[in-house]
Amino acid sequence: MPLDYRRFNGPEDSVSYRRFTEDYTKDYKQFLDELIDENGRRKGGREMDEARTLCMFFARTGMISQAKGSSYIELKRTKVACSVFDPREIVHQNEYSTLGQLYCEVKFAPFSCRGERKALVPDSDERALSVALKKALEPAVCRHLFPNYQIDIFIYILENDGACLPAAINAAGLALSDAAVPMYDIITASSVAISGDKIFVDPTDDEEQLAIRNHDGVNHGVITMSMLPELQQVSDYRQIGSMDADCVLNALSILEKECKKIVPYVQRVLVQNAINSFEQQKKLEEEAKEREEALNAKMEVWKSILNVG
Amino acid sequence: MAGLLLSPSEKVYILHGIEDDFRSDGRSNIDYRPMELETDVVSHASGSARLRLANTDILVGVKTEIDVPKPDKPNQGKIDFFVDCSANATPEFEGRGGEQLANNISNLMQRAYHSEQAFDLKQLSIFEGKQCWKLYVDILILECGGNLCDAVSLAVKAALFNTRIPFVKAALLDGGNVDLQLSDDPYDSKLLEVGTAPLLVTLCKIGEKCVVDPSAEEESCSVISLVVGVTGNPKCYCSNEDASKLHEHISKCSTIAMNGPGSVAPQTLTNAIKQGINAAKYLDEALGKALLRERQDITNFVKHSYGFFK
Repeated sequence: MPLDYRRFNGPEDSVSYRRFTEDYTKDYKQFLDELIDENGRRKGGREMDEARTLCMFFARTGMISQAKGSSYIELKRTKVACSVFDPREIVHQNEYSTLGQLYCEVKFAPFSCRGERKALVPDSDERALSVALKKALEPAVCRHLFPNYQIDIFIYILENDGACLPAAINAAGLALSDAAVPMYDIITASSVAISGDKIFVDPTDDEEQLAIRNHDGVNHGVITMSMLPELQQVSDYRQIGSMDADCVLNALSILEKECKKIVPYVQRVLVQNAINSFEQQKKLEEEAKEREEALNAKMEVWKSILNVG
Repeated sequence: MAGLLLSPSEKVYILHGIEDDFRSDGRSNIDYRPMELETDVVSHASGSARLRLANTDILVGVKTEIDVPKPDKPNQGKIDFFVDCSANATPEFEGRGGEQLANNISNLMQRAYHSEQAFDLKQLSIFEGKQCWKLYVDILILECGGNLCDAVSLAVKAALFNTRIPFVKAALLDGGNVDLQLSDDPYDSKLLEVGTAPLLVTLCKIGEKCVVDPSAEEESCSVISLVVGVTGNPKCYCSNEDASKLHEHISKCSTIAMNGPGSVAPQTLTNAIKQGINAAKYLDEALGKALLRERQDITNFVKHSYGFFK
């Protein structure tokens, strides 16, 4: 692996000091107690089944001016920017493909995660997220409309506090519609973290860490699902961890509801986007008209001057 | 799958057959094709297995190596999966052609083995925080005839079951470094506990129905398949006396993923997950039986010692 020689790397076998802090040596019980208070609320005041989207959904389109379409989503401390570029012909392609391709790339900012700094070359997490994103978006895009072309979708995760894959999918859905890429439906995604009988909807990083740990053979894991809500189709479903069938089916119904809950927010952003662009167009037209009038007035003046001459 | 051409009428034939629970090779929707399994086929590997499921041919070798455990998991070993799609399987795999498929499968295996309930990495620990075993599971795809995920997971489990890890005879502490002396005798080794290792079951959605173990032709008729990873039952992998000591086992899902460009309705997903768990249970029992029989044959073979030290 190429090393970054511009900064001090430390000896090869050095470990992060965090490992020796109290936070790291906490056992399962302490960890759980810290995340859930005595009233059954989570750290940060949310209910167990309350997604961050409901308390503060900070999303917008048109973030990045050089991209065809772009969006930004902020779920408290998870912040994701997405840009989508025009379809372009696939270079070095051996055979003609009747369906258009999506090229997805997910990148963490070097400062986005706790602990280690992310390197510039894509690591396995980022590659897995890119594959997951591609799988989730493919059924939503009308790919037959641009054969032999590919659309580039870039996700940049500025800050990661859990649920970055659903945030990335939601952002990509917004950016694709901002770029006016034909789609079958809005795409929304949500995730849950499960640990024993506790189900955290829209988990934070700590909650995800807790859910990945095994404790006494109880159900644990993280599930992410993306949906096309109007068409009632699941476009991607991925699970990590270990849980029994009832738990999976329960989580599935929760996720289905959550995915539908996000729809009005996405719709609001899209409508706002349409209104904005409409207004902007109107403004531009008015300005153009004014300019033309001014020009015409000047023409009149010149004509009269010429006539006098 | 790669390089297979089917006419629309052939596809319709397959589709209509599946609607009536009757597939082109005579199976019903929930039947597997016959498979052949051999273990201990590669002499230089610690454990190996070869699985042939109709036309799908998989060779798995497990190599062990001593490594330093991750700082945040000092008492756990490591396991890594590498998939290599041989160009023998189809010319499309030549060069970097099979890379995407290989990555997909190795990611899926990694996720399926991620949970401690699926595979306990603590058994690979040698010296907490200092040394552990690292298992390199190399999966070679020699021929593809559909249903790669299932075949790979079966072969991997068989190879791990067959894996022998040498005992540590002595450990010397020299400063902060540990110096291990391993036993030279290949029979003086321990076996891994792989009873809970997950099996993957692919459910291929064709028309309105889901089928298990799709052939390459059937795979090309489908736009979406669901892969369910289900943890195994340790009772199937040990002798009867040991089995009675174990707790009652509940199969759990250790991973679920979707393959292919399509999407499914939530109801179909629910049904498929249930169907997958059921299929995995039978598959696991059959694999356990076959592996125990194979091990029995090997243990009947007694080690002979020669020379005057006898």
